[in-house]
Amino acid sequence: MEKAIGNKKDRKGLVIQALVLLALVLLPFVLGNKFYLRLVTEIIIYGLLAMSLDVLLGFTGLLSFMHAAYMGIGAYTVAVFLSYVDPGASIWVTFPLGIAVTVVLAFAAGWLQVRTGGFAFALLTVAFGMMYYTLVWKARSITCGDDGLCGLPKPDISLGPIVLGNMNDSLTAYFFTLAVVAVCFFVTRRIMHSPFGAVLESIRENTERASFIGINVRNYKLMGWMLACTLAGISGVLFTYMKGSVSPTLMDARAGGIVLMMTLLGGMGTLWGAFIGAAAYIFLQDFISAMTENWMVFLGLAVILLTLFMPKGLADLPIRLGQRLTRQRSNL
Amino acid sequence: MSTILSTNSLCRHFGGVRAVNDVTIAIRDKSVKAVIGPNGAGKTTLFNTITGRLPATAGTVVFDGRDITNSPVHERVKLGICRTFQINSLFLGATVFENVRIAKQTRMGKSLKIFSKRDSLADVNEATFEILEKVGLGGKASELANTLSYGDQRSLEVAIALAGDPKILLLDEPTAGMSQLETNNIIRLIQKLVKEIAVVLVEHDVDMVLSISDSISVMHQGSIIGEGTPDEICKNQRVREAYLGDENGH
Ligand SMILES: Nc1ncnc2c1ncn2[C@@H]1O[C@H](COP(=O)(O)OP(=O)(O)OP(=O)(O)O)[C@@H](O)[C@H]1O
Ligand SMILES: [Mg+2]
Repeated sequence: MEKAIGNKKDRKGLVIQALVLLALVLLPFVLGNKFYLRLVTEIIIYGLLAMSLDVLLGFTGLLSFMHAAYMGIGAYTVAVFLSYVDPGASIWVTFPLGIAVTVVLAFAAGWLQVRTGGFAFALLTVAFGMMYYTLVWKARSITCGDDGLCGLPKPDISLGPIVLGNMNDSLTAYFFTLAVVAVCFFVTRRIMHSPFGAVLESIRENTERASFIGINVRNYKLMGWMLACTLAGISGVLFTYMKGSVSPTLMDARAGGIVLMMTLLGGMGTLWGAFIGAAAYIFLQDFISAMTENWMVFLGLAVILLTLFMPKGLADLPIRLGQRLTRQRSNL
Repeated sequence: MSTILSTNSLCRHFGGVRAVNDVTIAIRDKSVKAVIGPNGAGKTTLFNTITGRLPATAGTVVFDGRDITNSPVHERVKLGICRTFQINSLFLGATVFENVRIAKQTRMGKSLKIFSKRDSLADVNEATFEILEKVGLGGKASELANTLSYGDQRSLEVAIALAGDPKILLLDEPTAGMSQLETNNIIRLIQKLVKEIAVVLVEHDVDMVLSISDSISVMHQGSIIGEGTPDEICKNQRVREAYLGDENGH
Protein backbone atom coordinates (compact mmCIF):
# COMPACT_ATOMS: atom_id res chain seq x y z
CA MET A 1 0.00 0.00 0.00
CA GLU A 2 2.80 2.39 0.88
CA LYS A 3 4.61 1.69 -2.35
CA ALA A 4 1.69 2.71 -4.51
CA ILE A 5 1.31 5.99 -2.71
CA GLY A 6 4.56 7.79 -3.38
CA ASN A 7 4.82 10.85 -1.17
CA LYS A 8 8.57 10.70 -0.87
CA LYS A 9 9.46 12.01 -4.29
CA ASP A 10 7.07 14.88 -3.82
CA ARG A 11 8.69 15.96 -0.60
CA LYS A 12 12.12 15.90 -2.22
CA GLY A 13 10.85 18.16 -4.98
CA LEU A 14 9.44 20.56 -2.44
CA VAL A 15 12.79 20.78 -0.64
CA ILE A 16 14.61 21.52 -3.89
CA GLN A 17 12.08 24.18 -4.84
CA ALA A 18 12.37 25.80 -1.42
CA LEU A 19 16.15 25.89 -1.85
CA VAL A 20 15.80 27.53 -5.25
CA LEU A 21 13.54 30.12 -3.66
CA LEU A 22 16.16 30.75 -0.99
CA ALA A 23 18.78 31.21 -3.68
CA LEU A 24 16.51 33.70 -5.43
CA VAL A 25 16.09 35.61 -2.19
CA LEU A 26 19.87 35.87 -1.89
CA LEU A 27 20.38 36.68 -5.57
CA PRO A 28 20.23 40.51 -5.33
CA PHE A 29 23.09 40.46 -2.84
CA VAL A 30 25.26 38.60 -5.32
CA LEU A 31 24.00 40.36 -8.42
CA GLY A 32 25.19 43.94 -8.13
CA ASN A 33 23.88 44.94 -11.54
CA LYS A 34 20.45 46.60 -11.46
CA PHE A 35 19.79 45.84 -15.10
CA TYR A 36 20.05 42.12 -14.49
CA LEU A 37 17.91 42.36 -11.41
CA ARG A 38 15.14 43.90 -13.50
CA LEU A 39 15.64 41.21 -16.12
CA VAL A 40 15.24 38.50 -13.49
CA THR A 41 12.13 40.27 -12.17
CA GLU A 42 10.68 40.17 -15.66
CA ILE A 43 11.58 36.50 -15.98
CA ILE A 44 9.74 35.74 -12.75
CA ILE A 45 6.64 37.58 -13.99
CA TYR A 46 6.67 35.78 -17.32
CA GLY A 47 7.43 32.55 -15.50
CA LEU A 48 4.16 33.01 -13.62
CA LEU A 49 2.35 33.57 -16.92
CA ALA A 50 3.93 30.48 -18.48
CA MET A 51 3.13 28.49 -15.34
CA SER A 52 -0.50 29.55 -15.58
CA LEU A 53 -0.58 28.21 -19.12
CA ASP A 54 0.95 24.98 -17.81
CA VAL A 55 -2.03 24.58 -15.50
CA LEU A 56 -4.21 24.64 -18.58
CA LEU A 57 -2.02 22.81 -21.08
CA GLY A 58 0.13 20.52 -18.96
CA PHE A 59 -2.46 19.54 -16.38
CA THR A 60 -5.88 19.96 -17.95
CA GLY A 61 -4.81 19.26 -21.53
CA LEU A 62 -6.39 22.38 -23.00
CA LEU A 63 -4.66 24.66 -25.46
CA SER A 64 -4.85 28.46 -25.31
CA PHE A 65 -3.23 30.36 -28.15
CA MET A 66 -3.79 33.79 -26.64
CA HIS A 67 -3.08 33.29 -22.99
CA ALA A 68 -1.17 36.56 -22.83
CA ALA A 69 -4.51 38.32 -23.37
CA TYR A 70 -5.38 37.65 -19.74
CA MET A 71 -2.06 39.03 -18.59
CA GLY A 72 -2.90 42.07 -20.70
CA ILE A 73 -6.31 42.45 -19.09
CA GLY A 74 -4.80 42.43 -15.60
CA ALA A 75 -2.09 44.84 -16.68
CA TYR A 76 -4.43 47.26 -18.46
CA THR A 77 -6.96 47.25 -15.64
CA VAL A 78 -4.32 48.50 -13.23
CA ALA A 79 -2.85 50.90 -15.77
CA VAL A 80 -6.20 52.48 -16.61
CA PHE A 81 -7.11 52.78 -12.94
CA LEU A 82 -3.81 54.46 -12.11
CA SER A 83 -4.11 56.78 -15.12
CA TYR A 84 -7.68 57.95 -14.73
CA VAL A 85 -9.11 57.10 -11.37
CA ASP A 86 -6.48 57.37 -8.69
CA PRO A 87 -2.75 57.67 -9.45
CA GLY A 88 -1.98 57.11 -5.82
CA ALA A 89 -4.16 54.01 -5.45
CA SER A 90 -2.94 51.44 -2.98
CA ILE A 91 -1.93 48.00 -4.23
CA TRP A 92 -4.64 46.73 -1.90
CA VAL A 93 -7.13 48.32 -4.29
CA THR A 94 -5.52 47.82 -7.69
CA PHE A 95 -4.34 44.24 -7.12
CA PRO A 96 -7.79 42.78 -6.34
CA LEU A 97 -9.30 44.97 -9.06
CA GLY A 98 -6.91 43.62 -11.69
CA ILE A 99 -7.76 40.07 -10.66
CA ALA A 100 -11.51 40.76 -10.57
CA VAL A 101 -11.68 42.19 -14.11
CA THR A 102 -9.57 39.31 -15.44
CA VAL A 103 -11.84 36.80 -13.72
CA VAL A 104 -15.00 38.32 -15.19
CA LEU A 105 -13.69 38.43 -18.76
CA ALA A 106 -12.09 35.00 -18.46
CA PHE A 107 -15.36 33.57 -17.24
CA ALA A 108 -17.25 34.91 -20.25
CA ALA A 109 -14.75 33.26 -22.59
CA GLY A 110 -14.35 30.08 -20.57
CA TRP A 111 -18.04 29.46 -20.14
CA LEU A 112 -18.44 29.22 -23.90
CA GLN A 113 -15.12 27.50 -24.57
CA VAL A 114 -15.77 24.51 -22.31
CA ARG A 115 -19.01 23.86 -24.15
CA THR A 116 -17.02 22.83 -27.20
CA GLY A 117 -14.56 20.05 -27.96
CA GLY A 118 -10.78 20.30 -27.71
CA PHE A 119 -10.08 21.78 -31.12
CA ALA A 120 -12.90 24.31 -31.01
CA PHE A 121 -11.78 25.24 -27.50
CA ALA A 122 -8.37 26.25 -28.84
CA LEU A 123 -9.93 28.18 -31.72
CA LEU A 124 -12.23 30.05 -29.37
CA THR A 125 -9.27 31.09 -27.23
CA VAL A 126 -8.00 32.84 -30.37
CA ALA A 127 -11.37 34.45 -31.03
CA PHE A 128 -11.75 35.77 -27.48
CA GLY A 129 -8.10 36.74 -27.21
CA MET A 130 -8.31 38.71 -30.46
CA MET A 131 -11.51 40.32 -29.31
CA TYR A 132 -10.06 41.47 -26.01
CA TYR A 133 -6.90 42.61 -27.73
CA THR A 134 -8.86 44.61 -30.30
CA LEU A 135 -11.04 46.17 -27.61
CA VAL A 136 -7.95 47.42 -25.80
CA TRP A 137 -6.29 48.56 -28.97
CA LYS A 138 -9.34 50.37 -30.38
CA ALA A 139 -10.39 52.08 -27.17
CA ARG A 140 -7.90 54.83 -28.01
CA SER A 141 -9.47 57.50 -25.85
CA ILE A 142 -8.77 55.38 -22.79
CA THR A 143 -5.85 53.14 -23.72
CA CYS A 144 -4.03 55.41 -26.22
CA GLY A 145 -4.11 52.60 -28.80
CA ASP A 146 -0.73 51.55 -30.14
CA ASP A 147 1.16 53.95 -27.91
CA GLY A 148 -0.15 52.35 -24.77
CA LEU A 149 -0.07 53.98 -21.38
CA CYS A 150 3.28 54.98 -20.00
CA GLY A 151 4.81 56.92 -17.20
CA LEU A 152 2.39 55.40 -14.75
CA PRO A 153 3.01 56.09 -11.07
CA LYS A 154 4.72 53.19 -9.36
CA PRO A 155 2.83 52.11 -6.28
CA ASP A 156 4.13 51.80 -2.76
CA ILE A 157 4.34 48.31 -1.37
CA SER A 158 2.49 48.60 1.89
CA LEU A 159 1.33 46.29 4.62
CA GLY A 160 -1.43 48.21 6.35
CA PRO A 161 0.12 51.49 7.48
CA ILE A 162 3.69 50.26 7.02
CA VAL A 163 5.32 51.18 3.71
CA LEU A 164 7.96 48.61 2.78
CA GLY A 165 9.19 50.40 -0.32
CA ASN A 166 8.26 51.63 -3.78
CA MET A 167 8.15 49.69 -7.03
CA ASN A 168 10.50 52.32 -8.49
CA ASP A 169 13.23 50.75 -6.47
CA SER A 170 14.43 47.68 -8.33
CA LEU A 171 15.18 45.80 -5.12
CA THR A 172 11.64 46.39 -3.80
CA ALA A 173 10.19 45.44 -7.18
CA TYR A 174 12.22 42.26 -7.17
CA PHE A 175 11.28 41.15 -3.68
CA PHE A 176 7.62 42.04 -4.07
CA THR A 177 7.38 40.17 -7.36
CA LEU A 178 9.27 37.21 -5.96
CA ALA A 179 7.01 37.06 -2.90
CA VAL A 180 3.77 37.19 -4.88
CA VAL A 181 4.95 34.68 -7.46
CA ALA A 182 6.33 32.33 -4.81
CA VAL A 183 2.96 32.32 -3.08
CA CYS A 184 1.22 31.70 -6.42
CA PHE A 185 3.65 28.89 -7.21
CA PHE A 186 3.38 27.03 -3.92
CA VAL A 187 -0.38 27.42 -3.76
CA THR A 188 -0.81 26.21 -7.34
CA ARG A 189 1.59 23.37 -6.68
CA ARG A 190 -0.48 22.32 -3.73
CA ILE A 191 -3.67 22.53 -5.77
CA MET A 192 -2.19 20.40 -8.55
CA HIS A 193 -1.23 17.74 -6.01
CA SER A 194 -4.74 17.75 -4.57
CA PRO A 195 -7.73 15.61 -5.50
CA PHE A 196 -8.84 18.55 -7.63
CA GLY A 197 -5.54 18.44 -9.53
CA ALA A 198 -6.06 14.72 -10.03
CA VAL A 199 -9.37 15.47 -11.72
CA LEU A 200 -7.71 17.95 -14.09
CA GLU A 201 -5.07 15.36 -14.96
CA SER A 202 -7.67 12.69 -15.58
CA ILE A 203 -9.37 15.02 -18.07
CA ARG A 204 -6.05 15.51 -19.83
CA GLU A 205 -5.32 11.78 -19.85
CA ASN A 206 -8.71 10.60 -21.10
CA THR A 207 -11.58 13.05 -21.25
CA GLU A 208 -14.19 10.48 -22.13
CA ARG A 209 -13.20 8.12 -19.34
CA ALA A 210 -13.21 11.06 -16.95
CA SER A 211 -16.87 11.71 -17.69
CA PHE A 212 -17.58 7.98 -17.35
CA ILE A 213 -16.28 7.93 -13.80
CA GLY A 214 -18.75 10.68 -13.01
CA ILE A 215 -16.72 13.84 -13.48
CA ASN A 216 -18.58 16.87 -14.77
CA VAL A 217 -15.89 17.57 -17.34
CA ARG A 218 -17.22 20.96 -18.40
CA ASN A 219 -17.24 22.31 -14.88
CA TYR A 220 -13.75 21.12 -14.11
CA LYS A 221 -12.38 22.41 -17.39
CA LEU A 222 -13.91 25.76 -16.52
CA MET A 223 -12.33 25.70 -13.06
CA GLY A 224 -8.92 24.85 -14.57
CA TRP A 225 -9.36 27.68 -17.05
CA MET A 226 -10.33 30.14 -14.33
CA LEU A 227 -7.33 29.20 -12.22
CA ALA A 228 -5.03 29.63 -15.22
CA CYS A 229 -6.52 33.00 -16.17
CA THR A 230 -6.46 34.29 -12.60
CA LEU A 231 -2.75 33.55 -12.38
CA ALA A 232 -2.22 35.19 -15.77
CA GLY A 233 -4.10 38.26 -14.52
CA ILE A 234 -1.82 38.41 -11.48
CA SER A 235 1.22 38.34 -13.75
CA GLY A 236 -0.31 41.30 -15.61
CA VAL A 237 -0.81 43.30 -12.42
CA LEU A 238 2.81 42.66 -11.46
CA PHE A 239 3.90 43.69 -14.94
CA THR A 240 2.27 47.13 -14.69
CA TYR A 241 3.64 47.64 -11.19
CA MET A 242 7.15 46.88 -12.35
CA LYS A 243 7.25 48.53 -15.78
CA GLY A 244 4.96 51.48 -15.16
CA SER A 245 3.79 51.15 -18.75
CA VAL A 246 1.60 48.91 -20.90
CA SER A 247 1.11 48.55 -24.62
CA PRO A 248 -1.09 46.33 -26.77
CA THR A 249 1.89 44.18 -27.81
CA LEU A 250 1.63 42.77 -24.30
CA MET A 251 -1.46 40.85 -25.34
CA ASP A 252 -1.35 40.37 -29.11
CA ALA A 253 -1.15 37.09 -30.98
CA ARG A 254 2.65 37.16 -30.95
CA ALA A 255 2.65 37.50 -27.20
CA GLY A 256 0.31 34.52 -27.05
CA GLY A 257 2.78 32.52 -29.14
CA ILE A 258 5.66 33.53 -26.91
CA VAL A 259 3.97 32.28 -23.73
CA LEU A 260 3.21 29.04 -25.48
CA MET A 261 6.87 28.76 -26.47
CA MET A 262 8.02 29.43 -22.93
CA THR A 263 5.74 26.72 -21.56
CA LEU A 264 6.78 24.20 -24.19
CA LEU A 265 10.46 25.08 -23.86
CA GLY A 266 10.32 24.57 -20.13
CA GLY A 267 8.36 21.36 -20.30
CA MET A 268 4.75 20.80 -19.42
CA GLY A 269 3.16 19.37 -16.33
CA THR A 270 5.79 20.44 -13.80
CA LEU A 271 4.86 24.09 -13.05
CA TRP A 272 8.50 24.95 -12.29
CA GLY A 273 9.50 24.05 -15.84
CA ALA A 274 7.60 27.13 -16.98
CA PHE A 275 10.04 29.36 -15.10
CA ILE A 276 12.98 27.67 -16.79
CA GLY A 277 11.24 28.15 -20.11
CA ALA A 278 10.64 31.84 -19.41
CA ALA A 279 14.25 32.30 -18.31
CA ALA A 280 15.59 30.51 -21.37
CA TYR A 281 13.42 32.54 -23.71
CA ILE A 282 14.16 35.91 -22.16
CA PHE A 283 17.89 35.26 -21.81
CA LEU A 284 18.12 33.99 -25.38
CA GLN A 285 16.22 37.00 -26.61
CA ASP A 286 18.42 39.34 -24.62
CA PHE A 287 21.60 37.57 -25.62
CA ILE A 288 20.91 37.07 -29.33
CA SER A 289 19.27 40.43 -29.89
CA ALA A 290 22.48 42.06 -28.70
CA MET A 291 24.36 40.30 -31.49
CA THR A 292 22.06 40.50 -34.48
CA GLU A 293 18.99 42.33 -35.63
CA ASN A 294 17.47 39.14 -36.97
CA TRP A 295 17.34 37.64 -33.54
CA MET A 296 13.85 36.21 -34.04
CA VAL A 297 15.25 33.87 -36.70
CA PHE A 298 17.88 32.54 -34.32
CA LEU A 299 15.47 32.37 -31.47
CA GLY A 300 13.11 30.36 -33.64
CA LEU A 301 15.97 28.08 -34.60
CA ALA A 302 16.95 27.57 -30.97
CA VAL A 303 13.36 26.71 -30.09
CA ILE A 304 13.10 24.25 -32.98
CA LEU A 305 16.34 22.52 -31.97
CA LEU A 306 15.25 22.30 -28.36
CA THR A 307 11.88 20.90 -29.35
CA LEU A 308 13.54 18.28 -31.55
CA PHE A 309 16.15 17.14 -29.08
CA MET A 310 14.34 17.77 -25.84
CA PRO A 311 10.67 17.14 -26.52
CA LYS A 312 9.91 17.09 -22.82
CA GLY A 313 11.40 20.53 -22.39
CA LEU A 314 14.28 21.86 -20.36
CA ALA A 315 12.66 20.62 -17.16
CA ASP A 316 13.63 17.14 -18.31
CA LEU A 317 17.33 17.91 -17.73
CA PRO A 318 17.21 18.31 -13.94
CA ILE A 319 14.70 15.46 -13.72
CA ARG A 320 17.03 13.06 -15.54
CA LEU A 321 20.01 14.31 -13.59
CA GLY A 322 18.13 13.69 -10.36
CA GLN A 323 17.21 10.18 -11.48
CA ARG A 324 20.83 9.41 -12.36
CA LEU A 325 22.06 10.63 -8.99
CA THR A 326 19.46 8.54 -7.18
CA ARG A 327 20.42 5.50 -9.21
CA GLN A 328 24.11 6.00 -8.44
CA ARG A 329 23.40 6.34 -4.78
CA SER A 330 21.33 3.17 -4.72
CA ASN A 331 24.14 1.37 -6.55
CA LEU A 332 26.64 2.23 -3.85
CA MET B 1 -37.48 -8.39 -8.34
CA SER B 2 -38.12 -5.04 -9.92
CA THR B 3 -36.91 -3.48 -13.14
CA ILE B 4 -33.98 -1.17 -12.58
CA LEU B 5 -33.41 0.02 -16.11
CA SER B 6 -35.51 -0.15 -19.23
CA THR B 7 -35.49 1.17 -22.75
CA ASN B 8 -38.62 1.97 -24.66
CA SER B 9 -38.50 1.81 -28.49
CA LEU B 10 -34.92 3.04 -28.31
CA CYS B 11 -33.34 3.96 -31.64
CA ARG B 12 -29.92 5.08 -32.66
CA HIS B 13 -29.33 5.60 -36.34
CA PHE B 14 -26.16 6.59 -38.15
CA GLY B 15 -27.47 8.08 -41.35
CA GLY B 16 -29.13 5.11 -42.97
CA VAL B 17 -27.59 2.56 -40.60
CA ARG B 18 -30.09 1.54 -37.95
CA ALA B 19 -27.54 0.43 -35.39
CA VAL B 20 -30.17 0.30 -32.66
CA ASN B 21 -33.69 0.01 -33.96
CA ASP B 22 -36.78 0.07 -31.78
CA VAL B 23 -35.21 -1.76 -28.85
CA THR B 24 -37.37 -2.31 -25.81
CA ILE B 25 -35.71 -4.20 -22.99
CA ALA B 26 -36.09 -4.34 -19.24
CA ILE B 27 -33.25 -5.19 -16.91
CA ARG B 28 -34.17 -6.66 -13.58
CA ASP B 29 -32.39 -5.72 -10.43
CA LYS B 30 -29.91 -8.25 -9.05
CA SER B 31 -29.76 -10.24 -12.25
CA VAL B 32 -27.40 -10.87 -15.15
CA LYS B 33 -28.73 -9.86 -18.52
CA ALA B 34 -26.65 -10.88 -21.52
CA VAL B 35 -26.92 -9.15 -24.87
CA ILE B 36 -25.60 -11.34 -27.64
CA GLY B 37 -25.53 -11.08 -31.39
CA PRO B 38 -23.17 -11.21 -34.35
CA ASN B 39 -20.58 -8.53 -35.10
CA GLY B 40 -22.21 -5.25 -36.02
CA ALA B 41 -25.53 -6.23 -34.45
CA GLY B 42 -25.61 -2.99 -32.45
CA LYS B 43 -24.72 -4.24 -28.97
CA THR B 44 -22.08 -1.59 -28.29
CA THR B 45 -24.30 1.10 -29.76
CA LEU B 46 -27.07 0.00 -27.41
CA PHE B 47 -24.65 0.40 -24.49
CA ASN B 48 -23.57 3.79 -25.81
CA THR B 49 -27.13 5.01 -26.00
CA ILE B 50 -28.05 3.71 -22.56
CA THR B 51 -24.99 5.26 -20.91
CA GLY B 52 -25.19 8.58 -22.73
CA ARG B 53 -22.08 8.28 -24.84
CA LEU B 54 -24.35 8.74 -27.85
CA PRO B 55 -27.67 10.59 -27.87
CA ALA B 56 -30.69 8.50 -28.79
CA THR B 57 -32.33 9.13 -32.15
CA ALA B 58 -35.71 8.22 -30.68
CA GLY B 59 -37.18 6.39 -27.72
CA THR B 60 -36.45 6.62 -24.03
CA VAL B 61 -34.17 5.22 -21.36
CA VAL B 62 -35.63 4.92 -17.88
CA PHE B 63 -33.56 4.23 -14.79
CA ASP B 64 -35.23 3.56 -11.48
CA GLY B 65 -38.45 5.24 -12.60
CA ARG B 66 -36.69 8.29 -13.96
CA ASP B 67 -36.33 9.30 -17.60
CA ILE B 68 -32.62 9.72 -18.27
CA THR B 69 -32.74 9.76 -22.07
CA ASN B 70 -31.20 13.22 -22.20
CA SER B 71 -29.08 13.22 -19.04
CA PRO B 72 -25.37 13.91 -19.44
CA VAL B 73 -22.96 11.02 -18.90
CA HIS B 74 -21.66 12.10 -15.52
CA GLU B 75 -25.16 12.35 -14.10
CA ARG B 76 -25.99 8.83 -15.19
CA VAL B 77 -22.80 7.65 -13.53
CA LYS B 78 -23.80 9.46 -10.38
CA LEU B 79 -27.09 7.56 -10.44
CA GLY B 80 -25.10 4.34 -10.52
CA ILE B 81 -24.91 3.45 -14.20
CA CYS B 82 -21.32 2.39 -14.77
CA ARG B 83 -19.72 0.68 -17.73
CA THR B 84 -16.61 -0.77 -19.26
CA PHE B 85 -15.58 -0.32 -22.86
CA GLN B 86 -15.03 -2.89 -25.57
CA ILE B 87 -11.85 -1.00 -26.43
CA ASN B 88 -10.00 -0.22 -23.20
CA SER B 89 -10.46 3.32 -21.98
CA LEU B 90 -7.96 3.87 -19.18
CA PHE B 91 -5.79 6.62 -17.79
CA LEU B 92 -2.77 5.03 -19.40
CA GLY B 93 -0.12 7.36 -18.02
CA ALA B 94 -1.27 6.87 -14.42
CA THR B 95 -0.70 3.99 -12.02
CA VAL B 96 -3.23 1.22 -11.58
CA PHE B 97 -3.92 2.64 -8.16
CA GLU B 98 -4.53 6.16 -9.46
CA ASN B 99 -6.87 4.86 -12.19
CA VAL B 100 -9.21 3.47 -9.59
CA ARG B 101 -8.51 6.06 -6.93
CA ILE B 102 -9.65 8.95 -9.12
CA ALA B 103 -12.92 7.15 -9.83
CA LYS B 104 -13.40 6.41 -6.15
CA GLN B 105 -12.56 9.97 -5.17
CA THR B 106 -15.16 11.25 -7.61
CA ARG B 107 -17.74 8.81 -6.29
CA MET B 108 -17.08 9.86 -2.73
CA GLY B 109 -17.42 13.53 -3.62
CA LYS B 110 -13.91 14.58 -2.63
CA SER B 111 -12.85 16.20 -5.87
CA LEU B 112 -13.14 19.77 -4.68
CA LYS B 113 -10.66 19.35 -1.86
CA ILE B 114 -7.99 21.62 -3.25
CA PHE B 115 -5.59 21.74 -0.35
CA SER B 116 -5.29 18.14 0.76
CA LYS B 117 -2.89 15.74 -0.91
CA ARG B 118 -4.65 13.55 -3.41
CA ASP B 119 -3.31 10.39 -1.86
CA SER B 120 -3.96 11.38 1.74
CA LEU B 121 -7.68 10.55 1.68
CA ALA B 122 -7.59 7.45 3.82
CA ASP B 123 -11.15 6.31 3.11
CA VAL B 124 -10.65 6.70 -0.64
CA ASN B 125 -7.37 4.79 -0.53
CA GLU B 126 -8.87 1.99 1.46
CA ALA B 127 -11.86 1.63 -0.85
CA THR B 128 -9.51 1.69 -3.83
CA PHE B 129 -7.40 -1.17 -2.54
CA GLU B 130 -10.52 -3.15 -1.76
CA ILE B 131 -11.58 -2.94 -5.40
CA LEU B 132 -8.11 -3.76 -6.71
CA GLU B 133 -8.11 -6.87 -4.55
CA LYS B 134 -11.51 -7.83 -5.89
CA VAL B 135 -10.35 -7.86 -9.52
CA GLY B 136 -6.99 -9.41 -8.70
CA LEU B 137 -4.84 -6.33 -9.26
CA GLY B 138 -3.89 -5.79 -5.62
CA GLY B 139 -0.27 -6.68 -6.28
CA LYS B 140 0.04 -4.34 -9.24
CA ALA B 141 -1.22 -1.14 -7.67
CA SER B 142 1.93 0.85 -8.32
CA GLU B 143 2.42 -0.24 -11.93
CA LEU B 144 1.61 2.12 -14.75
CA ALA B 145 -1.57 1.22 -16.60
CA ASN B 146 0.23 1.21 -19.95
CA THR B 147 2.70 -1.43 -18.79
CA LEU B 148 0.01 -3.96 -17.85
CA SER B 149 -0.73 -7.05 -19.89
CA TYR B 150 -3.88 -6.86 -21.99
CA GLY B 151 -5.78 -9.12 -19.62
CA ASP B 152 -4.82 -6.98 -16.65
CA GLN B 153 -5.92 -3.88 -18.51
CA ARG B 154 -9.28 -5.52 -19.06
CA SER B 155 -9.50 -6.18 -15.33
CA LEU B 156 -8.60 -2.57 -14.64
CA GLU B 157 -11.51 -1.49 -16.86
CA VAL B 158 -13.79 -3.46 -14.60
CA ALA B 159 -12.15 -2.05 -11.48
CA ILE B 160 -12.67 1.55 -12.62
CA ALA B 161 -16.32 0.84 -13.33
CA LEU B 162 -16.74 -0.81 -9.92
CA ALA B 163 -15.27 2.24 -8.22
CA GLY B 164 -18.39 4.16 -9.22
CA ASP B 165 -20.49 1.98 -6.85
CA PRO B 166 -22.73 0.86 -9.70
CA LYS B 167 -26.35 -0.07 -9.27
CA ILE B 168 -26.18 -1.39 -12.78
CA LEU B 169 -22.92 -2.42 -14.39
CA LEU B 170 -22.62 -2.69 -18.16
CA LEU B 171 -19.73 -4.82 -19.35
CA ASP B 172 -18.86 -4.73 -23.05
CA GLU B 173 -17.02 -7.98 -23.82
CA PRO B 174 -15.11 -7.95 -20.53
CA THR B 175 -13.30 -11.22 -21.07
CA ALA B 176 -12.24 -10.71 -24.70
CA GLY B 177 -8.50 -11.31 -24.79
CA MET B 178 -8.36 -12.64 -21.25
CA SER B 179 -6.73 -15.90 -20.26
CA GLN B 180 -8.96 -18.69 -18.94
CA LEU B 181 -7.79 -17.92 -15.43
CA GLU B 182 -8.67 -14.24 -15.76
CA THR B 183 -11.99 -15.11 -17.37
CA ASN B 184 -12.91 -17.38 -14.47
CA ASN B 185 -12.02 -14.61 -12.08
CA ILE B 186 -14.40 -12.24 -13.89
CA ILE B 187 -17.16 -14.86 -13.90
CA ARG B 188 -16.82 -15.33 -10.17
CA LEU B 189 -16.81 -11.57 -9.72
CA ILE B 190 -20.02 -11.18 -11.71
CA GLN B 191 -21.69 -13.94 -9.74
CA LYS B 192 -20.77 -12.18 -6.53
CA LEU B 193 -21.81 -8.73 -7.77
CA VAL B 194 -25.18 -9.84 -8.96
CA LYS B 195 -26.29 -10.51 -5.41
CA GLU B 196 -26.36 -6.74 -4.98
CA ILE B 197 -26.64 -5.11 -8.39
CA ALA B 198 -27.73 -5.66 -11.97
CA VAL B 199 -25.16 -6.67 -14.56
CA VAL B 200 -25.57 -6.30 -18.31
CA LEU B 201 -23.12 -8.27 -20.34
CA VAL B 202 -22.15 -8.22 -23.99
CA GLU B 203 -20.20 -11.36 -24.65
CA HIS B 204 -19.27 -13.63 -27.54
CA ASP B 205 -18.31 -16.56 -25.32
CA VAL B 206 -21.53 -18.58 -25.59
CA ASP B 207 -20.66 -21.04 -22.83
CA MET B 208 -20.01 -18.23 -20.40
CA VAL B 209 -23.22 -16.46 -21.38
CA LEU B 210 -25.33 -19.58 -20.98
CA SER B 211 -23.82 -20.40 -17.63
CA ILE B 212 -24.12 -17.07 -15.83
CA SER B 213 -27.06 -15.22 -17.39
CA ASP B 214 -30.51 -15.01 -15.88
CA SER B 215 -31.88 -13.61 -19.10
CA ILE B 216 -30.53 -13.24 -22.61
CA SER B 217 -31.49 -10.79 -25.36
CA VAL B 218 -30.40 -11.54 -28.87
CA MET B 219 -29.68 -8.65 -31.20
CA HIS B 220 -29.55 -8.81 -34.93
CA GLN B 221 -29.23 -5.84 -37.27
CA GLY B 222 -30.20 -3.41 -34.57
CA SER B 223 -33.27 -5.23 -33.30
CA ILE B 224 -33.96 -7.67 -30.52
CA ILE B 225 -34.99 -10.89 -32.19
CA GLY B 226 -35.33 -13.07 -29.16
CA GLU B 227 -35.39 -12.91 -25.42
CA GLY B 228 -35.58 -15.40 -22.60
CA THR B 229 -33.75 -17.64 -20.21
CA PRO B 230 -30.66 -19.48 -21.47
CA ASP B 231 -32.80 -22.58 -22.01
CA GLU B 232 -35.40 -20.72 -23.99
CA ILE B 233 -32.78 -19.04 -26.14
CA CYS B 234 -31.18 -22.36 -26.95
CA LYS B 235 -34.50 -23.63 -28.20
CA ASN B 236 -35.48 -20.49 -30.07
CA GLN B 237 -35.48 -21.31 -33.78
CA ARG B 238 -35.18 -17.72 -34.98
CA VAL B 239 -32.18 -17.09 -32.78
CA ARG B 240 -30.48 -20.22 -33.99
CA GLU B 241 -30.94 -19.22 -37.57
CA ALA B 242 -29.83 -15.65 -37.16
CA TYR B 243 -27.10 -15.93 -34.63
CA LEU B 244 -25.96 -19.35 -33.68
CA GLY B 245 -26.19 -19.93 -37.39
CA ASP B 246 -25.92 -23.66 -37.01
CA GLU B 247 -28.33 -26.32 -38.01
CA ASN B 248 -28.42 -28.61 -35.04
CA GLY B 249 -27.69 -26.62 -31.99
CA HIS B 250 -24.31 -26.04 -30.44
N1 LIG C 1 -20.02 6.04 -34.42
C1 LIG C 1 -20.55 5.36 -35.45
N2 LIG C 1 -20.74 5.96 -36.64
C2 LIG C 1 -21.28 5.28 -37.68
N3 LIG C 1 -21.65 4.01 -37.62
C3 LIG C 1 -21.49 3.34 -36.47
C4 LIG C 1 -20.92 3.99 -35.32
N4 LIG C 1 -20.87 3.09 -34.30
C5 LIG C 1 -21.38 1.95 -34.80
N5 LIG C 1 -21.74 2.08 -36.09
C6 LIG C 1 -22.37 1.06 -36.92
O1 LIG C 1 -23.46 0.55 -36.21
C7 LIG C 1 -23.54 -0.87 -36.35
C8 LIG C 1 -23.52 -1.53 -35.00
O2 LIG C 1 -22.21 -1.42 -34.46
P1 LIG C 1 -21.86 -1.87 -32.98
O3 LIG C 1 -20.47 -1.48 -32.71
O4 LIG C 1 -22.89 -1.38 -32.06
O5 LIG C 1 -21.96 -3.45 -33.11
P2 LIG C 1 -21.60 -4.56 -32.03
O6 LIG C 1 -22.80 -5.43 -31.91
O7 LIG C 1 -21.06 -3.97 -30.81
O8 LIG C 1 -20.48 -5.37 -32.81
P3 LIG C 1 -19.16 -6.11 -32.24
O9 LIG C 1 -19.61 -7.47 -31.78
O10 LIG C 1 -18.28 -6.22 -33.43
O11 LIG C 1 -18.61 -5.28 -31.16
C9 LIG C 1 -22.41 -1.27 -37.27
O12 LIG C 1 -22.91 -1.39 -38.58
C10 LIG C 1 -21.45 -0.12 -37.17
O13 LIG C 1 -20.73 0.03 -38.36
MG1 LIG D 1 -19.30 -4.07 -29.78
